[in-house]
Amino acid sequence: MNIKILDSWLREYLKTSAKPADIAKHLSLSSVSVERLERKAEDYIYDIEVTTNRPDLMSVVGLARETAAALAEQGIEAEFKKNSLENRNQGKDFPVKIEAESNLVNRICAVVMDVAVKDSPKKIKDRLEASGIRSLNNLIDVTNYVMREIGHPVHVFDFDKLNAEKLTIRKSKKGESLVTLDKKQYSLLGGDIVMEDSNGRIVDLLGIMGLENSVVGENTKKILLFLDNTDPTLIRKTSMELGIRSEAAVLNEKGVDPELAMPALLRGIELYKGAADGKVSSSVLDIYPNPPKKHEIKVSLEKISRVIGEAIPEDKCRRILRKLDFEVTDRTDKLLVKVPSFRLLDVKIEEDIIEEIARVYGYQRLPSILPPLNENLKFTRFETAFYWERRVKEALKYFGFTEVYTYSLVSEDLYDGPIENALTLKNPLSSDMTFLRSSLIPSLLEVLGKNKGREEIKIFEIACVYKKRQKDLPEEKLLLSGALKKPNVSFFEAKGILETLFEDLGIKGIKFKKRLDGAGGAEITRGKDYLGYIEPVSADIIDFELDFEKATSFSTLKKVYNPIGKFPPISEDLAVILKPDISTIDVAEEIKTTDPLIVNVSLLDRFEDIRTFHIVFQSTERNITKGDVGKVREKIKKRLIEMFQANFK
Amino acid sequence: MEEELLNIKNNAVSLILDAPDLETLEGVKLQFLGRSGKLTVAIKEITKIPQERRPAVGMLANEVKTTIENTIESQASNLKSQVSKKIREDIDVTNPGIGPPLGHLHLITQAIEEISEIFKSIGFSRVRYPEVEWDWYAFGALNFPPNHPARDDWETFFINEEPDPKYGPMVLTPHTSSGQIREMQRIKPPIRMLNLAKCYRRQSDVSHTPMFHQFEGLVVDRGISITHLKGVLDFFVKSYFGEKRQSRIRPYHFEFTEPSFEVDVTCGVCNGRARLPDGQGCRLCKEGWLEMGGAGMVHPNVLKNGGIDPNTYTGFAFGWGVERVLMMKEGIEIDDLRLLYSNKLEFLEQF
Repeated sequence: MNIKILDSWLREYLKTSAKPADIAKHLSLSSVSVERLERKAEDYIYDIEVTTNRPDLMSVVGLARETAAALAEQGIEAEFKKNSLENRNQGKDFPVKIEAESNLVNRICAVVMDVAVKDSPKKIKDRLEASGIRSLNNLIDVTNYVMREIGHPVHVFDFDKLNAEKLTIRKSKKGESLVTLDKKQYSLLGGDIVMEDSNGRIVDLLGIMGLENSVVGENTKKILLFLDNTDPTLIRKTSMELGIRSEAAVLNEKGVDPELAMPALLRGIELYKGAADGKVSSSVLDIYPNPPKKHEIKVSLEKISRVIGEAIPEDKCRRILRKLDFEVTDRTDKLLVKVPSFRLLDVKIEEDIIEEIARVYGYQRLPSILPPLNENLKFTRFETAFYWERRVKEALKYFGFTEVYTYSLVSEDLYDGPIENALTLKNPLSSDMTFLRSSLIPSLLEVLGKNKGREEIKIFEIACVYKKRQKDLPEEKLLLSGALKKPNVSFFEAKGILETLFEDLGIKGIKFKKRLDGAGGAEITRGKDYLGYIEPVSADIIDFELDFEKATSFSTLKKVYNPIGKFPPISEDLAVILKPDISTIDVAEEIKTTDPLIVNVSLLDRFEDIRTFHIVFQSTERNITKGDVGKVREKIKKRLIEMFQANFK
Repeated sequence: MEEELLNIKNNAVSLILDAPDLETLEGVKLQFLGRSGKLTVAIKEITKIPQERRPAVGMLANEVKTTIENTIESQASNLKSQVSKKIREDIDVTNPGIGPPLGHLHLITQAIEEISEIFKSIGFSRVRYPEVEWDWYAFGALNFPPNHPARDDWETFFINEEPDPKYGPMVLTPHTSSGQIREMQRIKPPIRMLNLAKCYRRQSDVSHTPMFHQFEGLVVDRGISITHLKGVLDFFVKSYFGEKRQSRIRPYHFEFTEPSFEVDVTCGVCNGRARLPDGQGCRLCKEGWLEMGGAGMVHPNVLKNGGIDPNTYTGFAFGWGVERVLMMKEGIEIDDLRLLYSNKLEFLEQF
């Protein structure tokens, strides 16, 4: 959450000679980030990002306290000027009976005043507008001004619009409706904090926004100034459900210090006196069933130095904490620290105190030191997995493939398989990103479709797919998928890519088998393991998908040296007439096992029913003669006739 | 017989030397050395002459064969060098070359490689943990209170499966920090982890994609302090962005670290000066700094949940966006992050 404040407003609570640029710098380094420092006439505006744990800094007073501590530690003179107002309004009656459950509202401070509606004084207008808040009239402006200055949201009712003998704060019921002061109607889901008047009419949506039926206007004469410290969780629920992200809601859902309620009320009274001719006409009401207890934290001096990495002197620790309103008592080797009310939700353990000391001391003053190497470093299974992933990606890149990253979440159309098997999001962002995919192929085909006007495309992706398991997290399987688009693309182009890839990775024993489901293409196996498939999609598109982890589990960097042959090889081409349904690989393997002199067999050419095999003969012991080759040739022919009813020209 | 062999030799040599090109030379070779070539036929004839003369004739035949082969070889290399001479003289070197195919790795992959290498060199080991995770690993064990906004339906993707009685609902990892607990369960300190993975959050606009990548560092050991976090941060920033870039940490708030930091790097466009050379304010950064991401000292509750004694060990962790650091690199300013996952070849082929 961001807050914008004028430099002159900050200096009402901060005495320093530091320039705005220095304030911005040191606040950023030690506290909250000043994202922009903007010049405005004779003044400056700080635009500050406040972290959610520091709602106390969504105020001029809180920021002044932090700035004073930050500047002082960096050697720049600075002092936080507290403004304590006294409650001088006791003794009168309070005309309204207020009932509230303490688990809904922890504190209520209220007062009734007679007022005159008019424009706000220039100072209030300017400060609010620099803060990004539109000035409306003095009655509304004061509530916003106090919220900005003190940090507690403030509400004001037109007293005469309330039927105010009794006001009851309760949880809303489902279906109750109301109209907020910006004239929007809401139907409640139940469990919201609302206030009803004696007529049973809802007059406030507490902690979030006032309602139209009780809002102050140009005819207002009497106001009920009302501060409620509400339960943060209920506020968050209502605010998100109704989509009302008012400043009050954003603050209240973070937990506002109830101790601020009374000073804020008193500041409101003071401002109404000046800006609205205000006269207090009731006593000040303060319902405060459970004031929070301040806790103490023990911090060891040794631990402070151990976590920060540099010894911070004890007196410096003490001084820093006191500037931030912590109470510090010395003990041997440790500090006993009492947390101020506005930090109770945020500062709970030793480490929280260490953070306070370290940040104000200044992280920029600490050295940068690399941690020592891990002396027990072990090789892990992860290392090899990432190695092969890198190798495969590089290889595919040099085969001309472009890598894509598609979303793991897909639409029903892009889900591969029966949709009831899909792991499904409970709260998808859109229908095209609802299911966790089971294959990468549909996403790749979509990419091909998106890149129209290209005749040739080669793409691939390595990513996980997800498969449901009973009472367990899904199985996440890493796949390698690719798609080729090219006029009349050949099956053998896809196969060749995978064969070359397998060869490069040292994966041996891969088999391609015709798929039996009639879809065309081939399934890829190794021994008993199914590794994936090649699948023609159309005349121009073919794709492949591989179980990447399984496939690369067979890859190896192991190299085997075979002595280079002393005797030259002889090669011969053999034309064989074969029926078309006979697999080339079977024939080649048959030839290969005919005789130990055969060292390699490959298909040279295929024309109609004639397949020409290129056969290489070599011996490690002697020169091979034509005679040797002739004998082996006859053996081959005999076998092929027996096994495959082959013919020869 | 000897005379015939010598004739063959002379005849062959003169034809070889006259061959104007490699094709003719190949013809000559076949004419003499082919299966029914003149020399081949003549050698077969040797079996017909008397036994006692055969060794001498055989030797001569071999000599003739060697001479013809050598001459062919030398003529071939002469012809080839003439060809290459022609190439040297006649080509337009400005014509495009004929290259091997070259594809492209995705920018994210390139960043991942670079980041992994940097952390590897200072002793971090890369790991991979589930993308679909139990709430306990993603939030609970990381000290997120039960009603924390990040656990709302608006920020995190929930999976429509039965919650685990112990670990809660199933979610898509909204950050790589879930790997912290997994790593502490896998190994005891010392820990030097780099978890680089896909993450998912319920948002999509110019600076957010529902799927993105983070890299998480986790160091747990005896005596690990804020100064060590600063050391690693500086090393990474100088290695990845360049030596001129500065880094800083400043206070921030996260549930799973204490103290927590926001990490800034000086802007590469204005060099941290917040102003451009022409005096205009820099629009990319905030007062000269770019936010890189979060970091902090591991919260003692997180160490406890990972089974590590916070009285003995301390640690730091950081989780930064891959897309984010990529965008912060000089020269890559993409105005809509969703372009990264659009898979337009026009985009991918630029890298």
